Amino acid sequence: MSIMHRPSEETLAAFAAGQLDEGLAVVVACHIEADPESRRRLRELEAVQGALLDKVEPVAMAAGPRDAGSVARTAPASGMAGPSPEAGMLQVLRPYGLGPWRPIGVRIAMRRVEVPGAGARVFMLRAGPGIALPHHKHTGFEWTTILAGAYEHEYGRYAAGDFDEADSEHDHTPRVDPVEGCTCIVAMTGHVQLQGWLGRLLQPLVRF
Amino acid sequence: MVPALALTVDGMREAGARAQGGRFIVLFDPNRLIAAIARSGDRAAFAALFDHFAPRVKGLLMRGGAPAELAEEVAQETLLAVWRKAALFDPAKASASTWIATIARNLRIDIARREKRSRLSQVYEILDEEAPEQPDATLSGAERDARVRAAMTQLSPDQYRVVELAFLEGFSHQDVADRLAIPLGTVKSRLRLALSHLRGRLEDLR
Repeated sequence: MSIMHRPSEETLAAFAAGQLDEGLAVVVACHIEADPESRRRLRELEAVQGALLDKVEPVAMAAGPRDAGSVARTAPASGMAGPSPEAGMLQVLRPYGLGPWRPIGVRIAMRRVEVPGAGARVFMLRAGPGIALPHHKHTGFEWTTILAGAYEHEYGRYAAGDFDEADSEHDHTPRVDPVEGCTCIVAMTGHVQLQGWLGRLLQPLVRF
Repeated sequence: MVPALALTVDGMREAGARAQGGRFIVLFDPNRLIAAIARSGDRAAFAALFDHFAPRVKGLLMRGGAPAELAEEVAQETLLAVWRKAALFDPAKASASTWIATIARNLRIDIARREKRSRLSQVYEILDEEAPEQPDATLSGAERDARVRAAMTQLSPDQYRVVELAFLEGFSHQDVADRLAIPLGTVKSRLRLALSHLRGRLEDLR
């Protein structure tokens, strides 16, 4: 896997700071899990926060320490328990429920990712080889991490692990890889205006 | 207020001593204190960590715009998590400050988004526990932390403020520009300079 497209510095800093909407954060996390380079950059941003903690002006606590003696200490970890709920699924999606795949057209299916704390809508999209995804415009963000296969639009080719950070300035028509097809996870904020027949099919679903 | 805890700005040094007022004062060594908790549930070590870190966690959150009450709660919970998770702390992976800052971030998310049934803190924990570092990274977490810390001390106050806002609070560049009442282009160039400085210091060892 050779990852070409990564989150902007700004987006990664917001992720590291825990300030992103949960839906957007989940899609960023899917990319980070797939990309060692972004993981390294995340650790660096966390180190910056550690340095900020060292340098910040302390503010006196209103109360002293709670009685720690009554709180059990954890034994050293021996790896995470439990397999992932679905083979091949990213680990970061474990906390979330996934709806069933529902066909929404010819060779195109969608499943909802249930992110209760999110303002953004999160879903997976699976499209067969060669399909042109609906031409659309939107008012907010549309962030995508490719889970398998690839698509291509005017900003380049996006393959497994790549992160596509689109905002309202983008107006694009992704074309799915003619051999591999494409499965991706998408978080959308704002309103989407889909065009064409496929757009009209998708419209009620992205507004769930 | 407490001279023994008055750290140099670049933070935690190895355990050592320095002359001050004709006496030797042992410098604050959080790694040793966390190890003492992990080993034997050392209450005195916990009290020392609390006195140092709880007011800083509270300060960091308030600096990021959190109300005092929330900042206090997160600071309390963060130090309790340090007590509970002391055995999980790996000094080779990150400095104590970085470890504690990430715990505070996750708890802030949990506490601030409690009503929304957020699971985001679990996502951070999964990324932390399960996603290994790049195998060819020659920089250990502790070295990286030390370098980031050293590089931060070399930022100009203007750059530092931009980094603080952008990193700590996750502001967009436009938000930072609005907050500091400076042009967007200035924010971008300051942040770019600051980041290239930080990254440059990290590249040296790779």
